[in-house]
Amino acid sequence: MVSDTLLHLLRDNYLIARLRGKRSKLLERQQLIALSEAKSQTEIIGLLAEGPYGPELSKLGAESSTIETERAVRLGFADSVMGLIRASQGDTHDFLVQYRERFDAYSLAGLVVFKAQGKTWEEYLTTRLPLSLMKEQELHRLYSLDDLSTIARQGGDRHLVGRLKGFSMTDIEGEKASLVRDVINGWGEERLYKYMDKKLSGLDRGNCLPIAGSAIDIANLTIIVRSKIIGASGVKDHLIPSHWKLNQRAIDQLLTAADATQALDAVASHEYYGRILSGARQKYEESESLSFIEVALRRYQLDLSRRIFLGFPYSVGIMLAFLILKENEARNLAAVLAGVSAGLPTDDLRSLLVRE
Amino acid sequence: MVCTDLATCPTFWASLGAGLSVLLSAIGAGLGIGISGPAIAGAGVERPEVMLKTFIATILAEALAIYGLVVGLLSIFAIPGLTTIEGGTRIFAAGLTMGAASLGAGFGIGAAGSAMASATAEKPDIFSRAVISLILAEALAIYALVTALLLVFGAK
Repeated sequence: MVSDTLLHLLRDNYLIARLRGKRSKLLERQQLIALSEAKSQTEIIGLLAEGPYGPELSKLGAESSTIETERAVRLGFADSVMGLIRASQGDTHDFLVQYRERFDAYSLAGLVVFKAQGKTWEEYLTTRLPLSLMKEQELHRLYSLDDLSTIARQGGDRHLVGRLKGFSMTDIEGEKASLVRDVINGWGEERLYKYMDKKLSGLDRGNCLPIAGSAIDIANLTIIVRSKIIGASGVKDHLIPSHWKLNQRAIDQLLTAADATQALDAVASHEYYGRILSGARQKYEESESLSFIEVALRRYQLDLSRRIFLGFPYSVGIMLAFLILKENEARNLAAVLAGVSAGLPTDDLRSLLVRE
Repeated sequence: MVCTDLATCPTFWASLGAGLSVLLSAIGAGLGIGISGPAIAGAGVERPEVMLKTFIATILAEALAIYGLVVGLLSIFAIPGLTTIEGGTRIFAAGLTMGAASLGAGFGIGAAGSAMASATAEKPDIFSRAVISLILAEALAIYALVTALLLVFGAK
C-alpha cells in the first residue's frame, strides 16, 4: 500500500493536481440551473464557448438536432477522458484504459438495441459513444450481422454469449430491449469490477471498489426487477456472477419475489442498499419506470466520488471520482440542452438534474 | 595537521561532515523540488493564477540546499583551526545533522507541497492554510541548522 501511495505521489502528482483544478471548473448545480433558464440552445452554446465543451459545441449549426447536441457534449466528455489517458503513465494508464473499455459494452448494447429496432447504421452512428475502444469499422461489421449470439461472441466474449442466451434479435423490443441493454452494460461493468478486484490494492482498491461494486449489484437488481416486469424466465442465466454487497442470499431473495414490487420492497430493506433505494416501490409505482434506480446509483456514486476528493489524494480513486463527476456533468448538460430545445419548463428541467 | 590514523584524524571527520551536509541537503532539496514541481506545474496548467503562489514549495525546498551549503562552508573554514578529534567529530555531527534533517524535510516539503498545490488548484482560497504544513516541514530543517551551527562554532 505504501509503495502504491509513493508511486502515485512521485508519478501521478502532476495529473492529480490537474484533476483537482479541473474539478473546480465542473458545472455546479446553480450554473446548470442558470443554463436551464436560457431561451435557446444557441444561447447555452454561447455561454459554454469558453469551457471544455466549447470546441465541440461551437461546431454545431443553429439548427442542430438534440442528438447532434448530445453527441457534441459527449465528445467534450470524451476529450477530457482522452486527455487524462494521454497524460497518465504505468498502472494509472492501464486503469484509465480499463475504464474506457467499459464504453465498449455501452456501444455494443446500443448497437444491439438499434439493430433490433430496425434502425439504420447511420442512425446508430450519430448516438454512438465516442469513448469506445472498438473501431467504427468493427462496429459496422457487427451491425451487418443478424444473429445476436454471433454479435455477442465477436463483440464480447463467451460470458456475454451465455448471458444473452434465450434472446434473439427478432424479439427485442420495449422492456425486453432494456433488459438486453442492462445485461450487456452489466457485462461491461463486471469487467471493470474484476480488474479493480484483482489488480488494485490498498487505498486504490478501497476507493474504487465501492463505485464499481455498486454498479454491478445495481445492474443485477435491475436485471431481476425488469425480468419480473416482463415475466422473463431463466433470469439466473442473465445475471452477473460477481457481486459486492448484494450477495447470493440477497439475490436468491430477490429471485423468489413474486413480482417487481415485492423485489423492490426486498431491496429497500437490504442492509446496504436499503438507504440508497429507500421507498423504491413507491418511486416505481409513481413513475412506472426503473430509471429511478439508475438515478439512485448515480447519486450514490457521486457521493462516493465527493468523499474520495475529500480524502487522501494519492490514489487512482481520485481519477475514477473525477470521471464519475465529469460523466454526470455531461449527462446533466445534455439534459439541459435537450430540455431547453424541447421547450421544457425550467422546474421540470431542474428535476432532471442529478447532483452530488 | 598530518594524520597517521584516519579514525582519529579531526580533518578527516570534519571534511566528511562538510561533504555530508552539502550532499544530503542537496538530495533533500532535489526530492522536495522533484516531488512538488510536477504538482505545481499541473496546478498551473489548470489555474495559472495560483502557480506563482504555489512556487513557495520549490523555494522552501531550495533553501534546504542553502542551509546545507552554509554548514558545509563553515565546516571547511573551521578545519584549519582543528586540533582535537572532538572538534572533528563535532563538525561531522553537524554535517550529519544538517544533511539528514534536510533529507527528511525535503521529502516532507515535496509531499506537503504537492498536496498544497493540488488543493490550491481546486480551491484557491485554501492556500493560506495549506501552506502551514509546508512551513512546519521547513522548520524541521531550521532546528537542524541551529544545532549544526552551534556544533560547528563550538569545534576546536
